[in-house]
Amino acid sequence: MITLNVNGARREVQAPADTPLLYVLRNDLQLIGPQFGCGLAQCGACAVLIDGKETRSCVTPVASVASQEITTLEGLPARWAKQKGLSAEAAKNTLHPVQQAWIEEQTPQCGFCQNGMMIKATELLESNANPSLTQIKAAFTTSGISPNLCRCGTYVAIIEAVKHAAEIMAKGR
Amino acid sequence: MATMSEKPGNVLAPTLSRRQFIKAGGVLVVGFSFAGTELLKGETKAPSVMRNSLDPTLASSWIEIHPDNTILIRTGKSDFGQGTTFTAYRQIVADELSVPFEAITTVVAGSTDITPDGSGAFDFLGHGTPNIRKAAAYTHQALLDLASEKLGVPKDKLSVKDGIVSGGGKTISYGDLIKNQQLKLTIPVKGDLTSIMGLSIEGNPPMKPVSEYTVIGKSFKNSIISSKVAAKETWATDVRLPGMLHARVVHPKTLGSTLVSAGQVDKTKFPNSQVIVKGNLVGVVAPTEWEVIQAADQVADGTKWTEWKGLPGNAKLYQHLREEADWTSAPVVKSEDSKGDVSPQLASAHKKLSATYQLSYMKHAPIGPTMAVADVKPDGTVHIHVHNQNPQALRGEIAMMLGTTPDHVIVHSYPGPGHYGRSNGGNSGAEDEAVLLSQAVGKPVRVQWMRADDMQWSTQASAAFSDVKLAVDEKGKIAAYQIDHYMPAMQDDRPIGAVLAGLPTMAAPQVHSDGVTTTVNGIEDPWVYAQVPNLIENGHGTFQVGQKASPLAVGLRDHSMRTPGQFQQNYPRELAISEAAALAGADALQFRIDHANEERAIGVLKSVRDASGWDTRPSPRSDAKAIGSAPLRGRGVSLMLRSGTYWACVCQIAVTPSTGVIVVEKYTIAVDPGIVVNPIQLKRNVEGGAVMGIGHALFEEVAFDESGITTEDWLSYPIPTMADIPEIKVVLLNNPKVGAYGGGSEAANALAAPAIAAALHDATGKIMRRLPMKPAYVQALLKT
Repeated sequence: MITLNVNGARREVQAPADTPLLYVLRNDLQLIGPQFGCGLAQCGACAVLIDGKETRSCVTPVASVASQEITTLEGLPARWAKQKGLSAEAAKNTLHPVQQAWIEEQTPQCGFCQNGMMIKATELLESNANPSLTQIKAAFTTSGISPNLCRCGTYVAIIEAVKHAAEIMAKGR
Repeated sequence: MATMSEKPGNVLAPTLSRRQFIKAGGVLVVGFSFAGTELLKGETKAPSVMRNSLDPTLASSWIEIHPDNTILIRTGKSDFGQGTTFTAYRQIVADELSVPFEAITTVVAGSTDITPDGSGAFDFLGHGTPNIRKAAAYTHQALLDLASEKLGVPKDKLSVKDGIVSGGGKTISYGDLIKNQQLKLTIPVKGDLTSIMGLSIEGNPPMKPVSEYTVIGKSFKNSIISSKVAAKETWATDVRLPGMLHARVVHPKTLGSTLVSAGQVDKTKFPNSQVIVKGNLVGVVAPTEWEVIQAADQVADGTKWTEWKGLPGNAKLYQHLREEADWTSAPVVKSEDSKGDVSPQLASAHKKLSATYQLSYMKHAPIGPTMAVADVKPDGTVHIHVHNQNPQALRGEIAMMLGTTPDHVIVHSYPGPGHYGRSNGGNSGAEDEAVLLSQAVGKPVRVQWMRADDMQWSTQASAAFSDVKLAVDEKGKIAAYQIDHYMPAMQDDRPIGAVLAGLPTMAAPQVHSDGVTTTVNGIEDPWVYAQVPNLIENGHGTFQVGQKASPLAVGLRDHSMRTPGQFQQNYPRELAISEAAALAGADALQFRIDHANEERAIGVLKSVRDASGWDTRPSPRSDAKAIGSAPLRGRGVSLMLRSGTYWACVCQIAVTPSTGVIVVEKYTIAVDPGIVVNPIQLKRNVEGGAVMGIGHALFEEVAFDESGITTEDWLSYPIPTMADIPEIKVVLLNNPKVGAYGGGSEAANALAAPAIAAALHDATGKIMRRLPMKPAYVQALLKT
């Protein structure tokens, strides 16, 4: 039995210690935001935040993160609500500014990679409230174990959405 | 739902032929069933409708209007990220019915038992009249007929606004109108439901004039984006059925290997895993995903295959295609635009060009590898849960594999990663494998390909080469132009698991096969330079590389990919046109304008010239050079017509001769699709296509040796990252006087390659007639 801290809740799972976190999240905890893209930490579709750091769940053994705080796409609204001190009621009806911006900018096409893109954007904006174009490009290409890849080519829309999310966060709405 | 069964036989034969329709349909009055899809209970004879299918002659199979004035629409076309079904289709129906966009609250797409028409996730806008538009137009007329009867007002005195019919001082909403009523309406259809093209709606119902559109032309948001972003959408990858087993497939060692012996599972390590062998198909199943991944690795290590070396290897690909491939068995296709006699000018011209252009194989490379969940029931009914561009065609293919009829197969459609054409013929790779494994174990099975399976066992976009001969006269105009396109068959729709298992499939591509799986190479790139007096365009086709040599009849299987065939033909044409301009000492963009007649072609060229800040002058630039470690700048242009849409693109690049690295710094693209249905969605699609096109131009090349594909992951098959994208400017030219909406976004991927190659020439004076323009290849060229 492994106890995990996922999206602010304690979750107990029965899985071999070396099971990649991705399969535990998707198959045991029904957290389907992270997607299987390569299983090789080369694309970012499976990304989650581990103690706030963008991490590829497809190569992360579940036992290695048992003591850490895991946030998936599903947990972004609550993460934002906590950071802003919103009431539980208000938190239920909100999305993370990154998610709001992704919708307002109509960023995804197929959307399969966008889980990782939103996780990476959240990591970036939590440490840099107003990133420049150069900083955004660096975040999505050289800051992690590999670039975050989008086969539909939505990078322009991602950049616009990151900037838009920064504006929303600055306004605190 | 209709329950008439099909006769067994050829499962790809028509399931609802025109003849059957006339016999059964005529002036049939059928129920406009708002509760769903039931046939009107009564004496009326229903047309032959396959079990587990909708009756496409019923209006409610396409459009349901509810008493609360909300509307549901159905289409066989699944969404692959274009968003068309959730945006443009709602806008089109809203305008034809004169209701607000928001009235269309539900879009049902793809799944074979709840959508009427089949066909694939391509050509969504149907050259201006997609099925859904005709369905809406027919429904609109029937609603007016009913309103006329109910209000006692002649039809021509009625008008509709926001779903309220008015006339003679009276009004009634659509919702009230259809309560407990039937429409006298039969939707006329033709075609074969489970063929690649599906059913199409016949006839020409009156349609709303373009000048009266109020919904089309606005930037409505794509509703599925919200649910995907909030992690509230059920993707195909999320489907979990009770008792379901996870599976992995151990694919053969080479593209021609047959199975010698399958490896065993070490039960002490993987107690719940099981190996299943069917012919050359080796699968491993287990209750948990992590166990099956490890068990499949172990089985793969212990599985023995025959050796096979029947491919040329990518270093010798061009030589193989040129010297060894059979270009004589398929008839040469000459374009309809071909005219005049090129020979005299080619012999005597002032200036001449004779050149060959080569393209590598490219992968569709969906960001998620193919997967499917199949559930073969004891009664033989097959359920497949999948993300697939042509679910109805998949029904036919699975039925053929199992020796049953398509009415036994139900395909449930979900979102998934973009396929860019790979599954438009009905299979993406894993569906048939999941069905065979589910059949073997009697439980639902989920087959997930790993990244290497997806790179090495999927189809690819065809490699190709083209020979161009052209002559430029003293006035600087093209006097004669001949292009000969050579490409292996570009559409192999055989399910790979069925092929490996030795079960029935459609034939491998051959000369006389019907439909799209043929070796005949048609002309896909419409000619746009009408002022050229003498023109020959020929298409030469052949079998897929290795197809005949492989004991599995596999080889390098090809499949249409985004701008299929046309990409392979437009790249050589457009680069050759830029070279012709250079021969003439003319500006490459003005040279194109000077050879075109069509106002819209000239329009996109002028737009892209203005928007890009194009400096009018001949190429190469006066200070062009091919040496040094400092970046050199150049710019190039390209032009294309596809599906009623005109495209022009300008790429401004920097190339560093010492490294061979090309960086696209600015990319400008102008699009005239006629009517722009939804500006923000079109802009986003074009931006994405532009980025993919840069990958095609600069990086993408399938590596293979004599046995199979060696490309296996994102390191060996790099695609653009955010660091590779230039400043991208999209110019949308809304052109309502065209009176129709052309195909939108697919083609943007094709524009970059010839423009970048022309820009390289502009900067360096050297012509690279080969894709991709990888640094090593560019370096080598610049040293010559």
